[in-house]
Amino acid sequence: MFLQRLNPSIKALTIMILVVLLAFIFEPMTPLLFLIWTVSITFIFGKVNFKKYALYFIPFVIFSFGMLWTSVVFADTPKNQDEIVVLLGMAYPRETLLTALALSIRVLNVAALSLLFVFTTNIVHFILSMMQQLRLPPKIAYAVLAGYRFLPMMRDEIKLIHDAHRIRGVNQAKTVTEKWNNYKRYSIPLLASAIRKAERTAIAMESKGFTGDKNRTFYRQFTVKKTDWLFPLIMLTGFLAALLAS
Amino acid sequence: MKPFVEVCDLSLRFETNQKNIFSNINFELYQGETVLLLGPSGSGKSTLTSCLNGIFPRELDGEMDGDIFIDGRKVSDYKPGELSKKVGVVFQDPETQFCMLTVEDEVAFGLENIGVPHVEMEAKIDDVLSLVHLSEFKESNVSTLSGGQKQKLALACILALDPSLIILDEPTANLDPIATKDVIQTINMLKKKMSFGLIIIEHKLDGWTDLAERCLLLNRRGEIFYDGSLREAIRDQRLQLAEQGIWLPKISQYLLENNPELIDLPLTVEEFTEYPSKWGYIEQEKSKQNLPVQVNPILETRNLSWSAKKREIVKNVSLTFYEGEFVAIVGANGSGKTSLSRILAGIQKPDCGNTLLKGKPLNEWKESLLRQEIGYVFQNPEHQFITNSVYDEVAFSLKIKNISVEAIQDKVHLILEAFGLLELKDEHPFSISQGQKRRLSVATMIVDDQSFLLLDEPTFGQDANSNAELMHLLQQRHQSNSTIIMITHDMEIVDHYATRVIVINNGKVVADTPPDRLWEMDSRKLKEWQLELPVRVQIQNIYEKEKDAYYVFTTS
Amino acid sequence: MTNWRFKEIVVMAALSVVFGVVYLAFLPLGGVLAGIFGPIGYDFIFGIWFIVSIIAAYIIRKPGAAFLSETIAAMVEVLIGNAIGPMLIVTGMVQGIGAEAVFAATRWKNYSTWVLMAAGVGSAVTSFIYGYFMSGYAALAPGYVTAMFIVRMISGALIAGLLGKALSDGLAQTGVLSSFALGKEYRKRKAA
Repeated sequence: MFLQRLNPSIKALTIMILVVLLAFIFEPMTPLLFLIWTVSITFIFGKVNFKKYALYFIPFVIFSFGMLWTSVVFADTPKNQDEIVVLLGMAYPRETLLTALALSIRVLNVAALSLLFVFTTNIVHFILSMMQQLRLPPKIAYAVLAGYRFLPMMRDEIKLIHDAHRIRGVNQAKTVTEKWNNYKRYSIPLLASAIRKAERTAIAMESKGFTGDKNRTFYRQFTVKKTDWLFPLIMLTGFLAALLAS
Repeated sequence: MKPFVEVCDLSLRFETNQKNIFSNINFELYQGETVLLLGPSGSGKSTLTSCLNGIFPRELDGEMDGDIFIDGRKVSDYKPGELSKKVGVVFQDPETQFCMLTVEDEVAFGLENIGVPHVEMEAKIDDVLSLVHLSEFKESNVSTLSGGQKQKLALACILALDPSLIILDEPTANLDPIATKDVIQTINMLKKKMSFGLIIIEHKLDGWTDLAERCLLLNRRGEIFYDGSLREAIRDQRLQLAEQGIWLPKISQYLLENNPELIDLPLTVEEFTEYPSKWGYIEQEKSKQNLPVQVNPILETRNLSWSAKKREIVKNVSLTFYEGEFVAIVGANGSGKTSLSRILAGIQKPDCGNTLLKGKPLNEWKESLLRQEIGYVFQNPEHQFITNSVYDEVAFSLKIKNISVEAIQDKVHLILEAFGLLELKDEHPFSISQGQKRRLSVATMIVDDQSFLLLDEPTFGQDANSNAELMHLLQQRHQSNSTIIMITHDMEIVDHYATRVIVINNGKVVADTPPDRLWEMDSRKLKEWQLELPVRVQIQNIYEKEKDAYYVFTTS
Repeated sequence: MTNWRFKEIVVMAALSVVFGVVYLAFLPLGGVLAGIFGPIGYDFIFGIWFIVSIIAAYIIRKPGAAFLSETIAAMVEVLIGNAIGPMLIVTGMVQGIGAEAVFAATRWKNYSTWVLMAAGVGSAVTSFIYGYFMSGYAALAPGYVTAMFIVRMISGALIAGLLGKALSDGLAQTGVLSSFALGKEYRKRKAA
């Protein structure tokens, strides 16, 4: 699919630019139209699983709703207090309501843009591309990849530590201090093991000739093709159209 | 011919220590030569590895004296990374040698480091993966590989860089016997095809003796006390070897124990088989102490089953454990041993079936009372440590009960002394040695007089001395009428200590007998369960075959 | 980066990975608090999101540790795939700069408790300025915004600064930091 084949760095940069642009919009229409645009592009060019997408999107909906009501309740006093909208038997200044709406839809729009990225990007490819296109130092890139490999091991380890501590008779914390001590008992072995693993991995990587030199060859080469520029073009056009339409 | 490796008067001291980790190391190694590097834990074997591949002194916090020449050049004259084309290392821990997610990317990582052009990579990757028989896993995730496969992948990554010397730094210490064999076989096969030299660092010698005639022996102070043929070392340096806690091959060890007068010793069972009478006849002592009478059931299970991720891991297990038994649970990796033991200890709830401890279902026990009855020692001792000192660690379970301070002190003191940990009582549990950690974890599990002790592979990855100390402690425990259940891969331990052995295969109990009975079972069955006979029984069988042959010979 | 050992970079990355996960785990809690108290709910626990800066800098003690660790933690949050997307990397950088600036002010020499707390406050300041524009705090009442700011600074000092120090010291006791700046200092203190 088009979105999956896209150069990950171009994709990420485009999305960042769009998020920044969205930050300057304080009316609800543009983000709403652009939200529809973003979601459509995701499904048309990304072949994304709808159920999974919805599952990830729902928390943002809840968050955006929280944003909506707090922005109304805790709002700054608007300049124009004449226009009043009555909602659920309460009166609100129209300006306040519109700003609140704009903020909450912005949250949704940012979420949609992120999900577009997350659902269509292979993380290893993203890091490799950042190294090749965005000059991310190889030392950091490979350190992150190495660290990333620890995640599943740590998940198993948490479970083990939990059981091992239970055997020792610790997990009956009732007060806050006991709970805090319990957390500390968990975190120290977990972090200690992560640090040791990291040290060993670093030595193994160096003994395979890794020096962090920027002149390395790549098994998976990432380049920017002409078609990659289509994505920023499509998205910026969409944003401009949304801006003009509202 | 110039030697490929030349180590001259090498000494090294860490900032953290007063004493040198090793001193005055001198040896030479020629192109293509294989040598075994043996020594007790802490004799600096792995540190030496870091010196040979150029990590030290660059990354060293401490001082290093002396010189190392590789291929005629001083190690310090190589640019960082350059040495990886001359010296490759396979490390001990299969989990921490990789930085990429898939097998092909991992092999590629090394090639990228040394600047192999993109167009040549694919072919090289295919090449080395087929060498170690991992071709079908090219696109697999590294995390889905077994421990043995990971070590073979580590080897492939090194082979891709085509070094003249490969250092194997305890490559099988974290593997079970089957995977160990597989890795050793792979290296044997590669050695026949290729011309690289090898330095093999290992605790257990079995399987490696065919590869190397020469050995270097290090003592606890980190000095080479012997450089020469392994066979002659075993003949002439016996006392030293034992003193330093260096393992002999199983067969040599066994023959020596039974016949200390023997001068020459075979290094492999095959060698023994060729001419058994050469090594003198060994009187087989018929089975050990009397088996305990199975009278007082302590733990009973009925129809236990448990599934995880839609896979049935424990299938319909009904077992009864009696007071005073020493039970070994054996079986291939992934057969469900650990899961079963966790259910027995009440850490894991089964999907169905129940477990009775002293006649009362586990789920009706109060957690704190249950833990006074059953101790469970995890594979990694660190997971069980919760305090900041060895003393507190042992005292912990007493402190959460209302026992007087003096009583706690006395008891902890007694246990620490028995476990050889008294001098370390103020150390942090994470900072003591592997063997000490293991003993500490056992100590914490019996301080409350738990009479039922479960252990998950407690002898894994330890040197000969720590192993002997641990087994001695467990045996003492057993003699004072505790019940011990132990998961293990080590058939020598099963043969030597267990009164009963339970074989698990695919989640089911397929055998439950005294060990002697197990060794008499059909060899095809044992093979299917991935069990090996202990050396004692192998020898016995060889004698019997000999006798039969003799009989056939004389009667015909 | 040239005076960093590769080992230190990987360890920093590993810490960042761990805390990247922790950061994600605290998002729902922030959400709940925000549901009750409004946007200020996040500020109560905002310090947790700076903690890796303090820990990495305190352990490794090299220029860039605070900034890089926070950036990588954010990257990891993106990689795990359940966050605010690539933009979060910028958020991480902004937070990291705040702490880094405080350490820079001591020329990366002083790692006392007060400096660590100040670094937590530093992250709070930069992250707040960034949030003010990106999340539209401008639309909220000034008194409310001021309250948010103060709460966030306190949270940065306590959760990131003090808690971060406590965890690092706990780690130093285990001996696993023996080849890092904090472990070496700890050893000296013990020997003395």
